[in-house]
Amino acid sequence: MSDIVAQTAPRRRRLRLAPLIPAAAAAGAVAVALLLVAATGRPVGIAIAAFWDGIAGSAFAFGASFDRAITLAFVGLGFILAGRAGLTNVGGEGQLAVGGIAATALALHGAGDLPRMLAPALPLVGGAMAGAVWGGVAGILKVRRGTNEVISTLLLSFVALQLVYWCVQSTQLLRKPQTSDSTLPESLDVPDITQLPLLFPDTGSPLHIGLFLVLIAAAAVAVVLTHSTLGLRLRAVGLNALAARRAGINDRGIVVLALTLAGALAGLAGAIMIVGEQYNLKTDFTSGYGFDGIVVGLLARGSVGGVLVFATLLGFLRSGGISMEITAGVPAAAVLICQGLIVITIAGSAILGDRARGSA
Amino acid sequence: MMTAADIGTFSGATLRLAMPLALAATGEMVSERAGVLNMSLDGMMLTAAFAGALGSWATGQPLIGLACGLLAALVLALWQAAMSVTLRANQLVVGIGFNILALGATTFLYREIFGAASRDLIPGFARWPVPSLAELPVLGPALFQQTALGYAGLALIALTWLVLAQTGFGLSVRAVGEDPRGAEKAGIDVRRIRYYGVLYAGAMAGLAGCFLSIADIDTFTEGMTNGAGYLALAAVIFGGWKGWRTFLACLLFGSATALQFLLPDLGVNVPVAALLLLPYLLALFAVAGLVGRIRPPSALTLPYVPGR
Repeated sequence: MSDIVAQTAPRRRRLRLAPLIPAAAAAGAVAVALLLVAATGRPVGIAIAAFWDGIAGSAFAFGASFDRAITLAFVGLGFILAGRAGLTNVGGEGQLAVGGIAATALALHGAGDLPRMLAPALPLVGGAMAGAVWGGVAGILKVRRGTNEVISTLLLSFVALQLVYWCVQSTQLLRKPQTSDSTLPESLDVPDITQLPLLFPDTGSPLHIGLFLVLIAAAAVAVVLTHSTLGLRLRAVGLNALAARRAGINDRGIVVLALTLAGALAGLAGAIMIVGEQYNLKTDFTSGYGFDGIVVGLLARGSVGGVLVFATLLGFLRSGGISMEITAGVPAAAVLICQGLIVITIAGSAILGDRARGSA
Repeated sequence: MMTAADIGTFSGATLRLAMPLALAATGEMVSERAGVLNMSLDGMMLTAAFAGALGSWATGQPLIGLACGLLAALVLALWQAAMSVTLRANQLVVGIGFNILALGATTFLYREIFGAASRDLIPGFARWPVPSLAELPVLGPALFQQTALGYAGLALIALTWLVLAQTGFGLSVRAVGEDPRGAEKAGIDVRRIRYYGVLYAGAMAGLAGCFLSIADIDTFTEGMTNGAGYLALAAVIFGGWKGWRTFLACLLFGSATALQFLLPDLGVNVPVAALLLLPYLLALFAVAGLVGRIRPPSALTLPYVPGR
């Protein structure tokens, strides 16, 4: 009885407040960042101008901002897909990394001889498969050994980052042939034919067809989540795995599948980073996109539209931050501070919803 | 051939690399026994490493640096406790948020204060060889030439086991993590004990961070923990939430990292990168291999609402 009362009355308040929280958190975090900039003694106006230039100051900046958003959106989509099954995939960074390794290897060995239509596709498929394996391993560990996916996906990320380092350090793997002592530890450039076509090559914008790929992926995830039996099963397992099993759902299979798909999306993003933007493999080429993708997924609260919005926002934030560092000398880490504050605030304000439901 | 000197170097490196993990993991074990997971361990270590280096660099006194490091980690821990215990935030998510914040804040301040590529050496703790023990063959120089922070850390770890296992306070901590409702009925303030747990994890992570920056390599680099906090979390799981087993897990991870100094001396040619990923891979196997046979504290990550 008391449960029913607790559920009905304050719930309306929760519904009204919920969408406001990310916006309020973001606004507060940006305010803190501006204060930080002011505290460094640099003119805030110049910093803001540099920030804006980095986002949309030129065709190049605008395109690069969207390229960043594409990567973040893929990772975020994977995060909410796994999240629907009650899983927290924090292994985006490692899944990006193995996707990038596989894409580089395939682009350098094999894909270059394929026709133009297929040449970029092979690294993309390979990247997605590598990411799928990296995510799937965490899924298998969870159902077989009961290993919490948060700790396993994190550790797998560190393994993957060291694998990238290994690949670019060893000439037997992907390091380009050493012609002198100053040869950098990075791979050869992938052949032109394997590179993703640019959407506006004449304008100098680096925006590539990954934009369409991410929109297709977003539509697919939206359909799966809302209009498919798989979506229902994911949700059922997420709400109550035991009840789902009683209802005849293979809950363990769903857990593995959810993490595999999340890994595949991030792996694909890693491949796109290589054949779409960077064109070769370098140590730390993932530079935190996998972790930022988690933030996107958290902010989106399970909504595909939310992922696209917040990926764009964070992609722009990153571009602006980099430009602010180069032009105005303000460390781009200010952007990280913003993101951290946003995550903490949103996690801390979840109580507004919980309290209304009257249970912990 | 492995010589006595090799063994000495290897065990010295093992202990040196295991120390920060063991400090952080021991504090985290206490917090987890009380039911609170600090995913933010890495961020607390990094924050303390920076604040410790800053304090030591500014004053020339490693001891003041240590105080700064501890204070910074405690502030973060208090904030984390307010989020996890009082506001009942998801402990995984809020911890990740703190890690992002710590990486951002330390990088930002480091660049502002030290400049982007500072190679400044930070005044660190001096080594204190234990008379006569330090001259023991093979292991003497490795084990008995620690800094003051090293000895104090080892003592604190042992003291923690003792308090957790043998005292009434330790019993309260364990009760709060296993059966908070029962603990409350027995008159224990569940949330207060959990605050203590998180603050203790913060203090130990603070020591661990300071160990990195002012008692080992005597410098700060951006993101210098490099996931050590996550290794410490894995060590707690691998150690089955038991003190000495957690410590052994840290020694194991430390020795895996120390192999990169031993193997080249033995003429074994293994890529450095392969050795760098070994501790993480080992941690993964450890976590995957043992969970199921050991049981985490029943109320781990579950927030508690008093009086319901």
